[in-house]
Amino acid sequence: MRLGLASDGGPPPAALIELLTRAGLPGAPLAGANPPALVAAGDDRWLLAPGADVLAACARGGLEAGIAGKDLLLELEPGLYELLDLRLPADRLVYAVPAGAGRRPRPRVATPYPRLTRAHFAASGRQVEPLLFSAAGLAPQLGLADGVVELESRLLEAAPGFEVREEVARCSPRLVAGGAARSLQAERLAELTARLREALEER
Amino acid sequence: MIPEGMRDVLPPEGDELRAIEAALCRRFAAYGYGEVRTPWLEFAETLEAAADDTLAAGYRVYDPQGRVLMVRTDMTVPVARLAATRYRDKPLPLRFSYVAPSIRPWAPQRSQDGEFVQAGAELLGVCSAAADAEAVALLCDCLAGAGLREFRVSLGTVAFYAALVDSLGLTLDDQEKLLEALADRDYPLLESIAGNADVGDDALKALWRTLELSGTRDSLAQARKLANSAAMDAAIEHLVAVRDLVEEAGFRDTITFDFGLFQDLTYYSGLIFEAFAPGVGLPIASGGRYDGLLERFEWGIPGVGFAVALDRLQEALGEAGAAPAAAPALLTFVGGLEEPARAAELRRAGWAVVAQPVGVEAAVRPLLRREGGSYTLELADGRTVGGGWREVLRALEGA
Repeated sequence: MRLGLASDGGPPPAALIELLTRAGLPGAPLAGANPPALVAAGDDRWLLAPGADVLAACARGGLEAGIAGKDLLLELEPGLYELLDLRLPADRLVYAVPAGAGRRPRPRVATPYPRLTRAHFAASGRQVEPLLFSAAGLAPQLGLADGVVELESRLLEAAPGFEVREEVARCSPRLVAGGAARSLQAERLAELTARLREALEER
Repeated sequence: MIPEGMRDVLPPEGDELRAIEAALCRRFAAYGYGEVRTPWLEFAETLEAAADDTLAAGYRVYDPQGRVLMVRTDMTVPVARLAATRYRDKPLPLRFSYVAPSIRPWAPQRSQDGEFVQAGAELLGVCSAAADAEAVALLCDCLAGAGLREFRVSLGTVAFYAALVDSLGLTLDDQEKLLEALADRDYPLLESIAGNADVGDDALKALWRTLELSGTRDSLAQARKLANSAAMDAAIEHLVAVRDLVEEAGFRDTITFDFGLFQDLTYYSGLIFEAFAPGVGLPIASGGRYDGLLERFEWGIPGVGFAVALDRLQEALGEAGAAPAAAPALLTFVGGLEEPARAAELRRAGWAVVAQPVGVEAAVRPLLRREGGSYTLELADGRTVGGGWREVLRALEGA
């Protein structure tokens, strides 16, 4: 099978690697790879690449299944089946503002998730101006934004001193697959899902 | 140069598409589905009648009387409108087919071109497993007829999850959330809603096993285990009956069950199905039963149908190395433009002839060149024949 594991820059999180290993998947070779990369493991091939790539590849039939964060699934709505919540590492998408920041009447929010951000604030009748910015945590220091919508873990890494105002969504890695894989590779996909579920329940 | 999401089709792709269309139309005709054509523009209220956000989000224009018109976003609704306005006193059932483009506003995250051509069939006026099976079998016949050897059709049904949420004993609020999670294909969320609602461990396990095993040989047994109401039993056994009939029609090892199958169009009311082929991630065809749709046009008859996405079928055929035979080998005839009688003679002999003006540069073989009163013929294999018209004809006969 062709599988994908979202890895933005660095190696995949240790908790996830440990889970994959317990499910009988090639944890060690994946942890040792230098993304972006295609890693051969037995009959399988693994794509290690940014989460958006993994989702696009699943949607268009280039991968049979993939593991990527709920944050990107919410932002991109790729129309994939979310089969399993791998739970670790658990993360939150939050709206945070730097301590002592000024406020525009319509706050400008730096974020890698502009669609999600607009939808989140619109749902409670508030207007914001989303600014697409991958290194969202750095935007306020340049006077570009009043706040950010970003994964909490990334925010802590990038710049301390943020105050979390609200939770936008809970995020954890998900096992996803496209309709074609569910139809044409159903048996192998079901087996993969079952193995990961067992590994999850052991924990 | 052209609006985003639109495309130009160039040869030989255009010729390939035409050949695929022709193959599908032959299958439609073999089942008695007469071809209809409907206008590009409908009154906006016609497409709005389907009460579906995707279909209502089309390009609108005003006519000189100030009425709002819409470029069609779908063919099933116009065919329903056509049937309800023109066939009301005709005997049922009715069978229609079409090959037609529709246009929807394009968005980058959408995996479909703004303009997309579909070849589809609609069977109106019968509601039964046999009618559903005819639609699915016709789809299989169409795909096979176009030259696709390997494909699968997943069957699901709206009735199954409607009955499922009923049978779990959820509050109305939870029922809505559960259906939303199913529509978003977010199974972890679905599991947690059912888990929080205290449906019992066995029911919960049967639920996720059913969704997880979709498409596999075990999915049917698992769904039967989950079923705990007459409505769920009926929904499952309906799918089994459809599959059996499709197999009887000659399409074995093609049908699988997917109890998590969900179609974004809201007019579907029962059976839904999608076809997949190796190498193409997106469904190459989809369809289902829409028993409430014609009622919107004040004619309460049921219907079932499907549409094949021509560009995806073409991609699937390419992936399978089964692209439709290209046009007959082209013979380039330099000087043929000035000699229409001789070009016509070659065409009558079965050649596709590109008649070029004298003196034009050409390198593609086979290549026939008139120089003065004589001809030079370079054949595809590199041989060269020179001489008069008769020698040329003789050499081409053997080629």
